Amino acid sequence: MFKSEKNKPPQNVETIIGPSVKLEGDFAGEGDIVIEGIVLGNLKTKGHLQVGHEAKITADVEAQSAYVAGEISGNLNIKDNLELTATARINGDIKVVSLSVEKGAQINGKVCMNEQATLTKKSPNVSKEN
Amino acid sequence: MASNYNIMYLYIYDSFLNNKKYSNVLIRIENRLADLDIKGKICRLNILKNMKEVIEDGVNQGIKTVVAVGDDLTFSKVVNIIAELDITLGLIPVNGKSKIAQILGIPNDEYACEVLAQRLIKRLDLGKINQQYFIDSATIASPAVTLEFDNYKISPISKNSLVSLCNLGFLTDNQTIYKERLSNPADGFLEAVVAPLKGGIFNKLKGAVKQSIFPFTKIKITSQGEPATIIIDQQAVSKTPAEVTVAPKKLKVIVGSKRLF
Repeated sequence: MFKSEKNKPPQNVETIIGPSVKLEGDFAGEGDIVIEGIVLGNLKTKGHLQVGHEAKITADVEAQSAYVAGEISGNLNIKDNLELTATARINGDIKVVSLSVEKGAQINGKVCMNEQATLTKKSPNVSKEN
Repeated sequence: MASNYNIMYLYIYDSFLNNKKYSNVLIRIENRLADLDIKGKICRLNILKNMKEVIEDGVNQGIKTVVAVGDDLTFSKVVNIIAELDITLGLIPVNGKSKIAQILGIPNDEYACEVLAQRLIKRLDLGKINQQYFIDSATIASPAVTLEFDNYKISPISKNSLVSLCNLGFLTDNQTIYKERLSNPADGFLEAVVAPLKGGIFNKLKGAVKQSIFPFTKIKITSQGEPATIIIDQQAVSKTPAEVTVAPKKLKVIVGSKRLF
C-alpha cells in the first residue's frame, strides 16, 4: 500500500488494530500504531508502536519506539526506547537503543544494544543475552 | 447587493417536490433566491426527465453551479453525475431530514439560500465504491468480509462487527471516528473502521477502545460465501466484491459556517 509517496498514510495518524481484527501481510506505516489484535507477517512504522496485553504478533517488527504488553514472535528492531511490561512475551531477538523491562516479562532471544547510540545516551538499562 | 451574472445556476428540483404540499416552500425559496440575485434555470424532475441529461445540457449552456433541491438522495444522485465535471455543487434541503445538509452546515428550505449566496466553496474528497461516489461513508454489517490493502489484508475475528469506510463518518452507526476527528474529508484518505458489536437486538457498539482504524487510499473488499451488502451514505446499496478508492478533492461544494469539518 505504501510503496509510493501518494499512498503513504498521513503523518501521525494512528492506525489501530483492535482485538476483533486479524491482519495478515506486510504492514508499513508512518504514524503511531496501536495493536490489540492478531498480526501475521511484517510490521514496520516510523512512529511509536503500542502492543496491548491481548495482542499476538507473529512478525518481525521495526519501530521508532515501542511499549509492549503482549506477545511477539519475531525479531524486534527498535530505533529508540523499548518498554516491556510484566505481561510481555518476546520470542525473538531484540535490537534496541534503550530498554526497560518490568519484572515478569519474558525474553527468549538475544538482546543487542546499539553501541553508537548507547555512547550518546549513556544510560542503557539492560544489556543481556539469553 | 452584488450581482452574480457571471455565475450561472441550475436548480434541480427532485421529483418528490412535485407534490402540492411543497409548493409553498418552493415559492419561498424562489423568492429568496431572487432577493439574493442568484436566480437561475429551474429544472423539475419527473419520470420523463433524466437528471444526467439535464445537467449535461446545462453544462453545455455554460452552467457553473448545480444546486440539488431535495434530500440526501437528490444530493447523492447529483454528486455521481457532476463528480467528473468542473461544476460547483450546492444543496437546498427540503423536508428537514437531510443529514448531508448537517455535514455541510446548510440550513433547511429558504434559509439555505443565504449560504448559497455567500459561496463559501470547499473541495472535498469523495469515496468511490466500484462506480458509485459517496461523500460520508459506506458500511458493511457482515463479519465475513476481508479488506485487502496493497501488501496486507484484514478480517474481523468477531462474529458481530460493523465495518465502515469513512470519509467523514457522520452517517454511520459508529460515529466515534467523526466525533474524535480521526477522519477528515479533505486529507486525501479514507479510514476503514472495524468495530465489534455487542450483539442482541440493539447491536450496540462495544466502544471506541476496541475498534480498529486503518487509513487507506485504495482497498478491495471480498466476502466468503454470499456477497455482502454495502450501504453507501445510508441510502444506496452495493455488493461485494468491491473496490473502494478515494478521489481526492473531487467535489467542489458550497458549505456553511456550521459545517462539521
